Amino acid sequence: MNLHNKTVFITDADSGSGSAVIRRLAEEGARFILNSRSGGEKLADELSLIREAGSQAIVVSVNPSVSAEVAEMLQFAEQQLGPVDILIHNDNEVLQASVESCSEEAFWDCLSRNAKSAFVCTQAVGRQMVRQQSGSIIYVSSIHAEKPTGSSFAYSASKGAVKMLAKEAALVLGRSGVRVNTIELGPVQGDDKRFKSSFSTLYHDYEYKVPNAVLGSIEDLAGLVHFLASDDSAYVNGADIRLDGGFLLHYMNFKMKRPQSGR
Amino acid sequence: MSIAGKIALVTGAGTGIGKGVAIELARRGVKVAVHYNQSDAGALHTKQQIDEFGGDCFLVQANVANREEIERMVGIVADRCGGIDILVNNAALQLNYDFFEHDDASFDRMMSINLKGYLQCIQAVVPYMKQKQAGSIILMSSVHSKRPTDFDAVYSMTKGGIRMLGRESAIELARYGIRVNTIEPGAVDVGKQSARESKPIMTREDAERHKKQAGSIRDKFPLGRVGTPLDVARLVCFLASDENEFLTGSSIRLDGGSMLL
Repeated sequence: MNLHNKTVFITDADSGSGSAVIRRLAEEGARFILNSRSGGEKLADELSLIREAGSQAIVVSVNPSVSAEVAEMLQFAEQQLGPVDILIHNDNEVLQASVESCSEEAFWDCLSRNAKSAFVCTQAVGRQMVRQQSGSIIYVSSIHAEKPTGSSFAYSASKGAVKMLAKEAALVLGRSGVRVNTIELGPVQGDDKRFKSSFSTLYHDYEYKVPNAVLGSIEDLAGLVHFLASDDSAYVNGADIRLDGGFLLHYMNFKMKRPQSGR
Repeated sequence: MSIAGKIALVTGAGTGIGKGVAIELARRGVKVAVHYNQSDAGALHTKQQIDEFGGDCFLVQANVANREEIERMVGIVADRCGGIDILVNNAALQLNYDFFEHDDASFDRMMSINLKGYLQCIQAVVPYMKQKQAGSIILMSSVHSKRPTDFDAVYSMTKGGIRMLGRESAIELARYGIRVNTIEPGAVDVGKQSARESKPIMTREDAERHKKQAGSIRDKFPLGRVGTPLDVARLVCFLASDENEFLTGSSIRLDGGSMLL
């Protein structure tokens, strides 16, 4: 129960990663501010788990890219649950579009959902954390903050921006006792479809490019989030932790654990 | 190096690095479109310097935060020159706002120019490069695409975005014979004229104290000096020349080794 009485703000609670993180941190006694586009509809199971654990949650529905909305909501939440101790930014909107033909509107929307939301929420929560002189900020990002997708450049550019936000915040907020870290997750089941590319072969045989040929899961993610949220990671600051089972280390692929036959 | 006779568009060529790049390209026989937005005097000065040695250049004005203006500019350059071989994406805004000083509007403004502007300049030149099945696109980034600034978080966010834009563009546009590379300069001495809107990154007192405490230049720059626009320009010339066939999707740190200290 090492997150007892800690308040956790999750920016996209409805997502798979949001759900897994709620489940993991609820076991540790955390309280939650859950930003939910469905207004809590998709969170029924998670909310009852939190109740069963004897803890509390507030469900909100704000646009995380709009400062005024986030600030007002946090003020309200602070009265109920106290200031935010842990921010988990996990907005991951993938936009299939090519560099050559992506529309301005689509690009801007993707950037706003992935990167501006991270900046806006970091500023808003950062103000509370500086006051408290403590806190942990965690961005659930992607291996595509480093590796091009060949299908969703606006997503990877957004995550590249978040990577730098994390480093800036690790310095600025770090001087006030706040830690800021990034998790670069991937691949998980289904990412071959999510990042389907007409020219990048990255996801061909992607399961086998993970040296142990076992894909990661959102439970793996939740475990790392828990570590970064807790005091066990007191000296981890400004880190990009690649959570990919070694996937990005693949090179010639001829020694894959279970090579495909018949090709 | 076989670069003479090519056609280049250099954005933000009225000041600093862009100016140095435009001049050096022209010196090597490239026909250069010198882009500026508000730095008319600076752009004229770039042109004067090119005219002095008989180089070939002309001015184009556009706000790179605006897609229509970018398309109009690229259309003018391509019509006038018969295509575009080299795009140097360089125009950028650096406000130097503190972390909590930035707001939604300043975030949008910097992203519009620095990241969306780069994207839309790429989008605008690609049809012309496709026609020739050749082209070189260079993205001016910064060491702050990897190392934080500690003076403008949104600036480095834009550079972090550019880093991935460069990588994605390189693999997507390779099939058209287009190479995309990124340059990451460290501190570059751009003289006084640059960065009209940038706030100072240090208070006057801090700057004074810093000056007094400063040791040898080698404490920060192993080669004993800061960078110059010409250093950057020479790398641009290599990347854009026919000498470079195979380098694409790379980011080259150009900082005199300073990031290693």
